[in-house]
Amino acid sequence: MAACYGAGALLSLLLARWSGRLALGLSHLAAAAGAAAGLALSLGLLLGEPGRTLIQPLPNIFPFAKLSLSIDGLSAYFLLVVSVVAVAAAIYGPAYLRAHSPDAGSPRQAAQGFALNVFLGCMAFLCCAGDALTFLFCWEGMTLASYVLVVSDDRDGENARAGLLYMVMAHGGTALLLVAFLALTERAGAFDFAALRAAATGLNGPTRTALFFLALGGFATKAGVVPLHVWLPRAHPAAPSHVSALMSGVMLKVAIYGLLRFTFDLLAPVAGPLPFSWGWTVLFVGTTSAVLGVLYALQQHDLKRLLAFHSVENIGIILIGVGLAMILWRQSTGGALATVALTAALLHTVNHAAFKGLLFLGAGSVLSRTHLRNIEELGGLARRMPWTAGLFLLGAIAISALPPLNGFVSEWLTFQALLGGATRFHGPAGLVIVFSAAMLALTGGLAAACFAKAFGVTFLGRPRTSQAEHATEAPPSMIAGMLWLGALCVALGVAPGYAMRLLDAPTAALLHGPGASAVVTARGPLVLSTALTPSGANGTAISMTMVAALLIALSAMALVLRRGVRRAPPRVAPTWTCGMTPTARFDYTATAFAKPLRLVFAALYHPRREVTRETAGTPYVVRRIHYAGEIVDLAETHIYHRVEREISALSQLIRARSTGRIYGYIGFVLAALFVALLLLGVAY
Amino acid sequence: MSPLSPDAVHTVIDDLGALLLFTMILIVAAGQIYRAIYSVAAQSLLISIAAAVLATSTGNPDLWVIAGITLAVKAILLPWVLHRVVQRMNVRREVEPVIPIAATLALAVAIVVVSFQLSASLGPVRQAITGNALPVGIALTLTGVLVMATRKTALTQMVGLFASENGIFFTAMAVTQGMPLIIEIGVILDVILAALVMTIMVLRVRSTVDADIADLDRLRG
Repeated sequence: MAACYGAGALLSLLLARWSGRLALGLSHLAAAAGAAAGLALSLGLLLGEPGRTLIQPLPNIFPFAKLSLSIDGLSAYFLLVVSVVAVAAAIYGPAYLRAHSPDAGSPRQAAQGFALNVFLGCMAFLCCAGDALTFLFCWEGMTLASYVLVVSDDRDGENARAGLLYMVMAHGGTALLLVAFLALTERAGAFDFAALRAAATGLNGPTRTALFFLALGGFATKAGVVPLHVWLPRAHPAAPSHVSALMSGVMLKVAIYGLLRFTFDLLAPVAGPLPFSWGWTVLFVGTTSAVLGVLYALQQHDLKRLLAFHSVENIGIILIGVGLAMILWRQSTGGALATVALTAALLHTVNHAAFKGLLFLGAGSVLSRTHLRNIEELGGLARRMPWTAGLFLLGAIAISALPPLNGFVSEWLTFQALLGGATRFHGPAGLVIVFSAAMLALTGGLAAACFAKAFGVTFLGRPRTSQAEHATEAPPSMIAGMLWLGALCVALGVAPGYAMRLLDAPTAALLHGPGASAVVTARGPLVLSTALTPSGANGTAISMTMVAALLIALSAMALVLRRGVRRAPPRVAPTWTCGMTPTARFDYTATAFAKPLRLVFAALYHPRREVTRETAGTPYVVRRIHYAGEIVDLAETHIYHRVEREISALSQLIRARSTGRIYGYIGFVLAALFVALLLLGVAY
Repeated sequence: MSPLSPDAVHTVIDDLGALLLFTMILIVAAGQIYRAIYSVAAQSLLISIAAAVLATSTGNPDLWVIAGITLAVKAILLPWVLHRVVQRMNVRREVEPVIPIAATLALAVAIVVVSFQLSASLGPVRQAITGNALPVGIALTLTGVLVMATRKTALTQMVGLFASENGIFFTAMAVTQGMPLIIEIGVILDVILAALVMTIMVLRVRSTVDADIADLDRLRG
């Protein structure tokens, strides 16, 4: 695996001068091979020998630390998630890059191939890291490589600004992580995870909690949790689409991996439940992210930006599961419920990777064919790009959590865990969990509304611009990349019971309890059930396979019935529009579609609306109407702009005092050093 | 086993330390940029000799590598680059001190005295250290910074930076019989990068706005 990614990176460097086209092809081929190797390795470990930990020492490049890879169940599972999307992206990439930016020179293509391989390699190794140093190195490599990819797409100011914001936020997060990890390594005197685990046993409560919140801050920045999400909707759309798929589908999950590893594995106390504040905080930020993410997504008309906001939402859903698992773990009343919650979170991780990857690749197909991202300018693409439309619809159904696809399964499990958890806690705690469940339901509904808008306005109706009118279907390699993820969505939706076997090792490794399949598929692989009630009777159960079969049977029946009753031959006629000729402007626009929700949630959106009329002399003849509307991001205006103002005020203050002479500054440093040496040096 | 006895190594390192201090004084006292550059090159040469001496006495192969790199980069490459830059600029060959050179020399003397005083108070640590290497290293480092602080032009500030790096190298070598190779290489890379960036800055600033780095204080708002 390492060899493949390394070879891909090297090849693209070597071929940079010679042929960008070849570099692009070969580097993506190497990435695909690396991803396939990762897939084989993780599947082998998860299915073949769950519970085993593979340890592979790395060459010692640092005299002060031993580097190693250690792959246990959790690592293998996230390696699987990384590899699944990486395969699709590597198949999809070359054709996309050629179609999207045909005029890119060879150095740029080679740089993209190089950064992609570094990005994938770092994410894969991050999941397998056996010590803090490897972990942090890969974390940084991942950030830098994705930054290169973000700014590589188009050379305009927007991308550069998005990249800069991403860089600043990501490094803020990394700084928090550094402090958290180094505090542990300093106590342990070594970098490997086993030593850190041992060092963490001696921590007292407040220190442990402080470290947890540092790590949570660091990982949440990367995961794009509200209110640390502001970089995400800017940076993700700016990258090439298959990289957006990787960033949204995988990179955010790597942050989840880090959180799970750090919390459950490294920092958790030896016995007893986790401190009270941890789980509830994660549950709270998860719920907030889920609701706000989908609300902001609703008002976006840039297809990729909309998808990026949905990533915020889905990370929220995953964190709801994680938070609940933290709350319930090792509680006397919790029982197997923590396993259910963690299973839900992990399952949603792979599900989101599959359908968000699929949606981003679909959006990329549209983008590469029309060069438009604003859905108001698209329309009518279903006839022109049938495969893309069909696969996008599949992804939209999955992300809206509708049966029989995979999004439904994991959200159903999250609901079960929430409702089960609500019965375990009395008083306000129970109410909070019920509130969280209600918010999750709201999220699902809003997501469905959002994708009705996105799909309808983009693919149905009439084309609104000539680019949309003359769009053609994407090339087969791009379709193939999407088909792979689409097939995964269907498979995970129809037969999720089989996927539970993959979850056995990670859940057992983290919670030291029963594996996922023992809890969730206790009644056979085709039925999902949750043994929740304290009396031991089975709680709710559902068979996704039966649901799928039922749906197919129902639709077949409806089709047959319709055939049967059809008597007169259908008559094709234009839509009746009160005698006018229908034009594309009669169709629903995305802004109009989202208007009711904009009004309902006006308190959150603070919408601004501006209508100007151009009249011809009298107010009765209107020539033209301009409409401009926008909504604000609460976190952005209330937190970030305030911080920005404070910082610029502070820098004004400093500027007034500074001389601007370099030798003056150096002299100042020297004098300070000298005084410190005189005062402190002699004392010893 | 070792061709040199510990006492002989002691003496050689002490002598080299004295020579290093002498070159440092030359750097501080140099009125022309060329002289400062030659002095720092000589100083780097002495450092690499010291590394070679320690390498023969301890048998540590890393020290040979360090000696070679120091010779190639600091004694030959960087002085040559500086020389080229001065030639390209073709004006202002004098160092332009902020305070008179005599005053700077007095400060340097004070620094050297304080360094010896400080390392004398380190007592037990000093036993483990080769001779007077520690105070010499500290003095070189601090005096290098002093040179940076008392010169206006960027080129002389670079000379100060190199001298300061030399001091750090010498201290590290003497105290720990050589740091791990990767750290030494990292430090060298640092110096090369700093030199590159500063050279480019100096030349670019001169070619576009015809001003020296020192004039950049006019930029403040």
